[in-house]
Amino acid sequence: MNQQQILDALAGLSLFSDLDRPQLQAVAHTMSEESFPAGQRILREGFTGAGFFVILDGEVTVRVDGDDVARLGKGDFFGEISLLLGEPPIADVVTSGPVQALQLAGPDLRAFLLAYPVVMYRMLQSVSRRLDRANRRS
Amino acid sequence: MSLTTEERRTWLERVPLFRGCSSEIIDQLADAMAEFEFAADQPIVQQGQVGNGLYVIVSGGARIVAGSEELARLGSGEFFGELSVIDQRPRAASAFADGATTCLALASWDLVSVLERDPRLAMNLLRELAGRLRMADEQLRH
Repeated sequence: MNQQQILDALAGLSLFSDLDRPQLQAVAHTMSEESFPAGQRILREGFTGAGFFVILDGEVTVRVDGDDVARLGKGDFFGEISLLLGEPPIADVVTSGPVQALQLAGPDLRAFLLAYPVVMYRMLQSVSRRLDRANRRS
Repeated sequence: MSLTTEERRTWLERVPLFRGCSSEIIDQLADAMAEFEFAADQPIVQQGQVGNGLYVIVSGGARIVAGSEELARLGSGEFFGELSVIDQRPRAASAFADGATTCLALASWDLVSVLERDPRLAMNLLRELAGRLRMADEQLRH
């Protein structure tokens, strides 16, 4: 993806929906663009060294103990829970096909969120919503 | 019971959610919050109603109930209602006073403006919820 395509992709994500164009550019510069082939394990259950990923294109499968529990696609993000808690992931995240993503290294997530409080608020809403769903399922 | 602003401050500073906040933010929270008293078993919030506030238990306690299932019992210093406050969705559960109970309530619009002014508060809440999400996800696996 070229820079314009990345910005266009970011502009469509709810996570970044409160940012203006210059802020989106700054975010794109802060994160690194990664390409993954099909079948690649981006996050490994139980292994530290996780990062924060925003999917620009493609699909991943979330796998726990060998069972597929969720699919994530364009606009979804993952890895933040492990980083926020300082704990290893409790799931594998594996690419279903080729995936383009933006990545933020683990240690940088906290500073990034504090620098972009509106993004942190969107993430807060996302985590809140997921917790709500998990509570309703149990 | 009627808490002075100073008492509210002292109380709020004990709540992990507000740990690390500046004095100015604590003061704004203290001023923005309202006290509510509930008799034993009186509903504090009802499942299904649009959430509009975060409740901190000052004295007494709350039984958190979804449908017919009791999810939790909370006590002094604990809070509930934060999910609806952040996401403006219907309450996931009801809360009933566990004995005579007093709460300090923070309206959703006041919480949002404070979160926007103090990113550390947002980070605290984000980590609290992340921990709960992980516990909930781990429970679902077994």
